Amino acid sequence: MSAEILAAPSSGIAPVGHYAYDQVDRAFLHDRVEQFRDQVARRLSGTLSEDEFKPLRLMNGLYLQLHAYMLRVAIPYGILDSRQMRELANIARTYDRDYGHFTTRQNIQFNWIRLEDTPDILARLATVDMHAIQTSGNCIRNVTCDQFAGAAADELLDPRVHAEILRQWSTLHPEFSFLPRKFKIAISGSPNDRVAARFHDIGLVAKPGRHGTVFDVFVGGGMGRTPIVGVHLRDNLPEEDLLAYLEAMIRVYNEYGRRDNIYKARIKILVQALGAEGYREKVDAEFAAMDRARYRLPPETVAAIRARFGTPALDAPSDAAERLAGARRADAAFDRWVRTNTHSHRAAGYISAVISLKPDGGIPGDATSAQLDAIADLAERFSFGEIRISHMQNVVLGHVRQDELHALWQELGRAGLASANIGLIGDIIACPGLDYCSLANARSIPIAQKLSARFANPDLQERIGDLQIKISGCINACGHHHAGHIGILGVDKKGEEFFQLTLGGSAASDAAIGQILGPALPEDSTVDAIAHLVDAYLVHRTDGERFLDTYRRLGAALFKDAVYALA
Amino acid sequence: MDVRSNRREAGGSSVVTANRLLDGRIVWLAGDGAWSGRIDAAHVFSNDGIEAVIDATARRQQADGVVGVYGVQVRDDSTTPVPVTVRERIRAFGPTVHPEFATLTEVPPDVR
Amino acid sequence: MPLLENGRIVEDFWTTIGGDELLPPTGPVIVPLDRLEDGLARPAGEKLGVALPPDAEIAVLRAALPRLALVGVTFPTFRDGRAFSQARALREHLDFAGDIRVTGRPLPDQYEFLLRCGVSTVQLPDGADPAVWARAHERFTTAYQPAVRDERAEGFGLRRFLA
Repeated sequence: MSAEILAAPSSGIAPVGHYAYDQVDRAFLHDRVEQFRDQVARRLSGTLSEDEFKPLRLMNGLYLQLHAYMLRVAIPYGILDSRQMRELANIARTYDRDYGHFTTRQNIQFNWIRLEDTPDILARLATVDMHAIQTSGNCIRNVTCDQFAGAAADELLDPRVHAEILRQWSTLHPEFSFLPRKFKIAISGSPNDRVAARFHDIGLVAKPGRHGTVFDVFVGGGMGRTPIVGVHLRDNLPEEDLLAYLEAMIRVYNEYGRRDNIYKARIKILVQALGAEGYREKVDAEFAAMDRARYRLPPETVAAIRARFGTPALDAPSDAAERLAGARRADAAFDRWVRTNTHSHRAAGYISAVISLKPDGGIPGDATSAQLDAIADLAERFSFGEIRISHMQNVVLGHVRQDELHALWQELGRAGLASANIGLIGDIIACPGLDYCSLANARSIPIAQKLSARFANPDLQERIGDLQIKISGCINACGHHHAGHIGILGVDKKGEEFFQLTLGGSAASDAAIGQILGPALPEDSTVDAIAHLVDAYLVHRTDGERFLDTYRRLGAALFKDAVYALA
Repeated sequence: MDVRSNRREAGGSSVVTANRLLDGRIVWLAGDGAWSGRIDAAHVFSNDGIEAVIDATARRQQADGVVGVYGVQVRDDSTTPVPVTVRERIRAFGPTVHPEFATLTEVPPDVR
Repeated sequence: MPLLENGRIVEDFWTTIGGDELLPPTGPVIVPLDRLEDGLARPAGEKLGVALPPDAEIAVLRAALPRLALVGVTFPTFRDGRAFSQARALREHLDFAGDIRVTGRPLPDQYEFLLRCGVSTVQLPDGADPAVWARAHERFTTAYQPAVRDERAEGFGLRRFLA
């Protein structure tokens, strides 16, 4: 092992918002990289067949996509620091075609990677304590988290420490690395669900209990071919039982989940087959039988991991809010951006800023290496070097002083990152679709580009208000179309692209699955159809009513007419 | 390999494709048995004998350094082979959202 | 087929009996689960093992376990990870202290996982290179979660040293 790998970070201070690695963690990552280097060598020599190599490369985030290999790098609980972001920019420049793409699981993907470069790329990631472990494969994937964790005014508890505990616990888990299917866990610490807890294999909501942290547990939610809102499995799970209970839940899944049909292999299908009660009984039986002491999560362990997190020294001048208000009065464009792209902070004088990766007519979630570097610089200057990736494929600077927000916004404008459209119709989620993905049936990105160009007018966007469009290029639903207020699903009809619209989905606390509006539309009439839906909404809404609420109040018929009556 | 990509009509003609093992890039089987990065270098086979060609090619994929060999039906009315499906046209000519990543400098018109 | 224990090839004293083969009256034998009764009918001192299919619940062995010196778990393909849970449950729920043997088609890259779930021996698949398996056992020095092997705590978090 080289000396650099053992060296501590030069600053010597724990990074704000995420866990600081030590030499043991670094040695582990080093060993993991060398393991993969050996696996690649065995594949190239023919010792490993493609069939045998595939799950091994997938567990290191490496897919073979349409045009090349794609490497998905983990951003645990969506948090990274400036140093890590700069290394991602380096990788985009050196090994990719100068782009990175942020995903709905808060990770980053590089679309033009060579297998032979991958061990070196992983070694470079390891120098900044990053990896691609378990970003794919039938194992426990990257644990996702609230993008405003540790900052939001409405939060009860910062869930990132527990997300890190789950990351460590699930890393190369001996029993759960060959599950029937992939396994996704999300954790939130706010009563306002920003992690889609009910759309995960396991969703956890952390909150303070009478004797420490407790968790509400949801299970069996998911999108894909069979969208299901997760069931509420139990309340107030004590922190010390968190790992034991998760072990019991996933064991039951490993033992009884279907392995004969990949479309029926997710835990949601098992929970439906056994019924919530039947599944709960099996979990409780396992939980009662297991050696609980072995899996106990002691408070000292939680405290030790918490101590590895840097915390921001929040110290805004007393007139920060006043100065922000003044800047907003003086600059209408800035005022608009603040209205859409910020979130209330728990500390006086601070605010969280959302950097939209959804420019008009652009590719949702894409950033150039120059933009990645710019974000790293701005995070260092304005937000303690801490960067968050949201499942909406945007970037968040969590702790910005209100009196410095105007300066941040100006810098973002210079980097082409100041789109004021968060939560609006331009803030579209899209999977990579058929332009890159080997599973896709249709292209997602061009639809997103045409929609965001069509609704580029910022006044129009604000008038339309809260409207989430989510686009998936196939039924695997990486673009979360089931949970879109308007969902768009690409389908293949004899080699040509068609798009099916769903309305009324939501990933928030009012979780719901969108309902199919009617027959799939050809590509060239899909954008017009969305425009007709929006027009119908604007005509029929009452004051302050979101698109979703109008749909829920009036039902599908009106919207169906808007799309199909003209055809 | 994706079965959707491998569907063929009884008549017509096809080209044979794979991804290179080392870098994952798309390649097309040329007339001399070598692999080319350009679809315009691909040999066009009649669909009558294509299954045998695919089988023989798949058997030597480790030696050739490629993975996922399959056949792609192409249009009959074009001098450069143009796949009949959107998916295979995107594979042949590059992602539609980054014109600078096009695989051929002169992409045949009307391929999207 | 070579037998691997602690990363080394060891001699295999066991005979695996098929579904309709005659059961030898003496000597260590592994019987399929549906012939467990036949195996138990042999003299009490004769070593007996049973091969568990992946869909069996380990509880079916509860009564017979004191008589068993070996339980076989199997990987129909390396992707089917049910054997991990079976092995772990045998150790944890039934306190089984005998040999847990893996058969089928596991990958060497799964070896450390197998050991940490309580497996003691692996019947290597045809063509397997024992050196690759041995290397897989030496690859990592720490792990991040509890397992049924009694591993020494590393001192931070849930980390433990791998033996």
